[in-house]
Amino acid sequence: MACVYIPVQNSEEEVRVVLDQLPRDASDILDILKAEQAPLDLWLIIAREYFKQGKILQFRQILEEGSSPEIDEYYADVRYERIAILNALGAYHSYLGKIETKQREKEEHFIRATQYYNKASRIDMHEPSTWVGKGQLLLAKGDLEQAFNAFKIILDGDRDNVPALLGQGCVQFSRGRYSDSLELYKRALQVYPQCPGAVRLGIGLCRYKLGQYEKAKQAFQRVLQLDPENIEAFVALGILDLQTNESAGIKRGMEKMQRAFEIYPYCAMSLNYLANHFFFTGQHFLVEQLTEIALAVTNHGPTKSHSYYNLARSYHSKGDYEKAVRYYMASVKESNKPQEFVLPYYGLGQVHLKLGDLKSSLSNFEKVLEVYPENCETLKVLGHIYVQLGYTKKAQEFLKKATKNDPRDAQAFLDLGELLISTDAGDALDAFKTARNLLKKDGEEVPIELFNNIGVLHFERGEFQLAEQTFMEALGDGIWVKFIGSNAPPDPNVEAGSNPREETQYNPINKLNLERVIEEGYDTMKEADSDNMKVKSEHVEGAQFNHTGKSVFRPIAARLSILKFTHMQVFQQLEENGIAVELPCDKISTLFNLARLLEQSHNTEAACILYQLILFKYPDYIDAYLRLAAIAKARNNVQLSIELIGDALKVDDKYANALLMLGDLELKNDDWVKAKDTFRAAKDATDGKDSYATLSLGNWNYFAAVRSEKRAPKLEATHLEKAKELYTKVLVQHTANLYAANGAGVVLAEKGQFDVSKDLFTQVQEAASGSVFVQMPDVWINLAHVHFAQGNFALAVKMYQNCLRKFYYNTDSQVLLYQARTHYEAEQWQDCKKTLLRAIHLAPSNYTLRFDAGVALQKFSASTLQKTKRTVDEVRATVAELKNAVRLFSLLSVASNLHFHGFDEKKIETHVGYCKHLLEAAKVHCEAAEREDQQNKQRLELARKVIVAEENRRKAEEQRKFQLKKRKEEDDLRQVRQQEEHLERRKEQWKSSTPGSKRKDRPQVEDDDGVQGEKRRRKGGKRRKRDKKSRYETEEAEADEPEEMEDEDASMNYRESYDQINDQDDQVEDNPQDLLAAAGLEDSDAEDDAAVPPSNASRRRRAWSDSDEGEPQQRQNESSPVRENSVDMQESD
Amino acid sequence: MKLTWLSSVENAHDDSVWACTWVPATDDRQGLLLTGSLDETVRLWRHNDGLARVNTLTGHCLGVVSVAAHPSGRIAASASIDSYVRVFTVDGNDTIATLDAPSSEVWQLQFNPQGTTLAVAGGSSASVKLWDTAEWKLNATLSIPRPEGIKPSDKSGNKKFVLSVAWSPDGRHLACGSMDGTISVFDVARAKFLHHLEGHNMPVRSLVYSTAPLDKRVLFSASDDGQVHIYDSEGKTLIASLSGHASWVLSVDASPDGAAIATGSSDRTVRLWDLKMRAATQILTNHTDQVWGVAFQPPGGTGVRNHLLASVSDDKGISLYSYS
Repeated sequence: MACVYIPVQNSEEEVRVVLDQLPRDASDILDILKAEQAPLDLWLIIAREYFKQGKILQFRQILEEGSSPEIDEYYADVRYERIAILNALGAYHSYLGKIETKQREKEEHFIRATQYYNKASRIDMHEPSTWVGKGQLLLAKGDLEQAFNAFKIILDGDRDNVPALLGQGCVQFSRGRYSDSLELYKRALQVYPQCPGAVRLGIGLCRYKLGQYEKAKQAFQRVLQLDPENIEAFVALGILDLQTNESAGIKRGMEKMQRAFEIYPYCAMSLNYLANHFFFTGQHFLVEQLTEIALAVTNHGPTKSHSYYNLARSYHSKGDYEKAVRYYMASVKESNKPQEFVLPYYGLGQVHLKLGDLKSSLSNFEKVLEVYPENCETLKVLGHIYVQLGYTKKAQEFLKKATKNDPRDAQAFLDLGELLISTDAGDALDAFKTARNLLKKDGEEVPIELFNNIGVLHFERGEFQLAEQTFMEALGDGIWVKFIGSNAPPDPNVEAGSNPREETQYNPINKLNLERVIEEGYDTMKEADSDNMKVKSEHVEGAQFNHTGKSVFRPIAARLSILKFTHMQVFQQLEENGIAVELPCDKISTLFNLARLLEQSHNTEAACILYQLILFKYPDYIDAYLRLAAIAKARNNVQLSIELIGDALKVDDKYANALLMLGDLELKNDDWVKAKDTFRAAKDATDGKDSYATLSLGNWNYFAAVRSEKRAPKLEATHLEKAKELYTKVLVQHTANLYAANGAGVVLAEKGQFDVSKDLFTQVQEAASGSVFVQMPDVWINLAHVHFAQGNFALAVKMYQNCLRKFYYNTDSQVLLYQARTHYEAEQWQDCKKTLLRAIHLAPSNYTLRFDAGVALQKFSASTLQKTKRTVDEVRATVAELKNAVRLFSLLSVASNLHFHGFDEKKIETHVGYCKHLLEAAKVHCEAAEREDQQNKQRLELARKVIVAEENRRKAEEQRKFQLKKRKEEDDLRQVRQQEEHLERRKEQWKSSTPGSKRKDRPQVEDDDGVQGEKRRRKGGKRRKRDKKSRYETEEAEADEPEEMEDEDASMNYRESYDQINDQDDQVEDNPQDLLAAAGLEDSDAEDDAAVPPSNASRRRRAWSDSDEGEPQQRQNESSPVRENSVDMQESD
Repeated sequence: MKLTWLSSVENAHDDSVWACTWVPATDDRQGLLLTGSLDETVRLWRHNDGLARVNTLTGHCLGVVSVAAHPSGRIAASASIDSYVRVFTVDGNDTIATLDAPSSEVWQLQFNPQGTTLAVAGGSSASVKLWDTAEWKLNATLSIPRPEGIKPSDKSGNKKFVLSVAWSPDGRHLACGSMDGTISVFDVARAKFLHHLEGHNMPVRSLVYSTAPLDKRVLFSASDDGQVHIYDSEGKTLIASLSGHASWVLSVDASPDGAAIATGSSDRTVRLWDLKMRAATQILTNHTDQVWGVAFQPPGGTGVRNHLLASVSDDKGISLYSYS
């Protein structure tokens, strides 16, 4: 039983005060204390006792009395106790201020506390406990720096001051300098080993913050040993356990939390954690209760924030977004620092996203990202939001970052891929592939859409093999496998030299399967068709086949497929035979894409079967009809194509693509009015939003402008204007529409603005040369036309040739005609002729080409004959070509009787007549040339003779010379001999006299002279002969002159008559607008020709000739985001 | 089956080569390859260790579109754009006859297996002209009947422009292909039109009957629609359609053993098709431009197991392969 004794003044007695039994009214005690002038430490003891018993009022009463001025006066010399009383009051108010939530009162408390401490300081500046109190106060106020200074002052004086050590530890902890803090706490423990468990709590927290979880745990456990009911320690231990993230740990943690809750049910921390636990177990009711209690008991911001977060999360998961938003907001408000507690922002972002408030959601997620810039989830969510807001670039950035941070997140790659499809197919493909590999690695099922997308991307990049593999993988096993025949086209590179075994390996087994499948269906049908089954022959190697006795060539399947374009019967038969023809609906798109791929790689048969399979199971799949129609159209089976489109329109008579295709076909059939109506209908069906419809109408107008054979300038202008208007409209809607740009270029060129149109065409050409699907030969041709019109013939030819090679496999006679026309203008007659002959070879029934060839030959001949200088060979060639021209024209003339072509008979007659006339004239020339040639020959003969004569002469000369020489040698010899003889004689004579020898030498000298003279003579002869030759030359020249005169006369004649024929030509050329139009040679003569307009109409090819391909082709993009010019085509995958 | 590339002659002609055929061997020389070109010449080639030019024959105007060799190997004929058929001796290039039937162009030529008749595709006359090879007189004109209800002035008359001809192996039937894609079959002896074979809608540039002894009624056709059709020419039925060429199929020929056909196309390839599998087993890419003609060497001589295949192209070249 604790008690104090208050000494009675002036006596030895004491008043015993039992501390347990302090009076209710503190005044009683106070009276005693005052009356007995008890020492101040007794006052403090009693006040403290009151405080311990929770009697705050009494506590305050005593202390306030104890610090009153009269006490100060009375106990003036008792300094320490007075200070202690003041400090106690200060500490009390610090505490009140610390826990007070209302700002004003909080400050009042702090002010009071400050006052007390100041008073204490006035009593003794150096009292450490005052400083400790001051430090605590500052700490409570959050003024860490000053608190630090306060504690430092004490510790400088006494480095083992425990309260100061603890305070400083707290300061350091709050400053985040955990190791310093730990040191301080440790020292406190060393100095004062008996200190309460709370000190170890500090150590535990420091260790926890430093990541030394084991040591932290030990510290907390020690706290619990010392103080088995220490809630903080329980909570801390619980958190540590929870963080192990193992089920056992979590369980232990939750037990500790529960324990804490049982000891003290108002600890917000433990409540929060419990709530968190119950959230995960799904007990939302408990969550709400617990968090509500937690909210009620705590004023600590972060804790409250946590509680609100728990509550919000609970509502969020229940789908009550309104409430969730409210509580998330509250949570955010409480903590206000995303760095500390970011989760509510994330939740808020999610809920906003759910509610469709993208902007708010975005800002919240961005805050999350500020805290965790590498968080994949957040990056992904942000990516999505940006996509939805239309900031593709940013979205890509985020998703790319997400995939970089977590290269194993298949979903992120998938999202990224989808995002990239429209901008960067290559990267998209990579992303999709990564996603596929990740999914495969994880053993998850790869969604068919992913395969589909990968396949389509490969397809678009022209990697058909890869695309096919992917599609097949996506489709898996099914009936279609049997229908895809020689799907892997033999490797073109496998050729000579490779192992023959290898080659037989691409025996497409599937093809056999197809046969079998169809045969199975066929067996039941063959009776009905037995009439057709007369082919009973057996193939040489047919025995290998299962079905011996039947022909290898089975008429049934292909006949159905090609003629009727329908395998329906076969499919039905298969079903009747018990073979299930199944096609899961999620595979249609992929199957369709596969069919497109087969079509693209020219395996049209297999493609047809697949399309029909689709239609058999899903008769509403319009695009399959359209593809079949397109195939039929490509094979020039217009009738079938129209029927198929009719089927498509039966499914949906407003289907714009079908209408547009129908329009094209009608135009092909020369059904102008109908086509226009169809295009209009298509345009209406899409509310004018489909640029293709508008484009088609534009083309229609353009055609209308240039088609009329009797050109009505007014009508033409209106049509052109209208066309231009329509093209411009499309361009405004879709600035990147190549076809519209091309159309606009054509109209501009038609108006003679070549430079502008050239720019346009060049740009379109550049843009078009990127994709497999954009095939725009038209723009090349147009560009070439412009070059042609500007007189840039060489370039134009080059362009035509490239175009032919690049797009038409050199099979388009029309383009050849353009090229020939260019050669014609460039006066390259041989090239022109060859080009035209090639064109005729490609299109034998096109008489225009023959006519043009005739004209070209005629022109060539005429121009050769006009030349002033020409060789005989040239003239001969001219004659030959003229004969050919006559032949061509006369054939045409005969054919015109049969009305095979639309040429005017008279005109051809004129040509024939003219050519014949030319030929006659040429014959004269030819004769002249031949005469000349003859003369030449004679001359040559003569020259030859002369040369021969010369040669003979030379030989004779040499002979003579040789003989002469020989004679001379003989002479010399003789002379020598004579001389010798002479000498002998002389020798004999010498003996008598010497001078006679001189005279004897003379004859020798004379001989020499003779030889020289002979030489001189010969030289002279040569000179003479040379003269003769030059005389011949002059004669020749003289002979030439009159002939040339004749020539000129004759050619004058030709010129005149030729000019007549070419008048129209010239007229056409005068008009720049028509220059382009004149790109077809036939124009020069076909102005009033009924038969030519169709070729006229097709003269300038334009956008649609290919864009009709382009549109359906794009349709296969179904599952990928759609390009701008196929806006309405997306299929829901 | 397999094609092995043997050799190629670059610049075999001065310009595009448009036609080729094998001239059967005679007693005093081996079989030769005959090619016709836009350069207005016909050239003869001998094969031993590559192709060697034997002769260049001139006298053809405006591009040679087709050549044909008589079964005897002595004479050959060529057709040019000037619509003349020139018949000449192979060894001497002496003109035997110049055939001309006004108002009709000439395209593909073929001698009948007996060598008594030369069939000439008659272009816009919508007929095939049969010339007697003994006297070089016009024997008969096999006309495709005009569809009823079409006025003579109708332009569509043009569409029956006849491009290609093929004799049946027994010489009793004759098929011709036209611009509109229809194939007409005639009974030669009675000079009677039998029926059409339908399925193509674009020009049929080449036709050939099967060489397999038991499939004599089978006819192969090559068309601009990129397809090769296999018909039962008597049953009027389409047996199969082979797709794969990326552009026009310009020429088709059946292998002597009857197990395969070869095709040449504008897509610059030569394909070998296995008739059992009905699929292309080999794609040859020797040529750099349209392949206008493919021709198997006829099974002459004694026990030759390897046959030759020649292909000619717009790239001015000839390629030779051995088929086994």
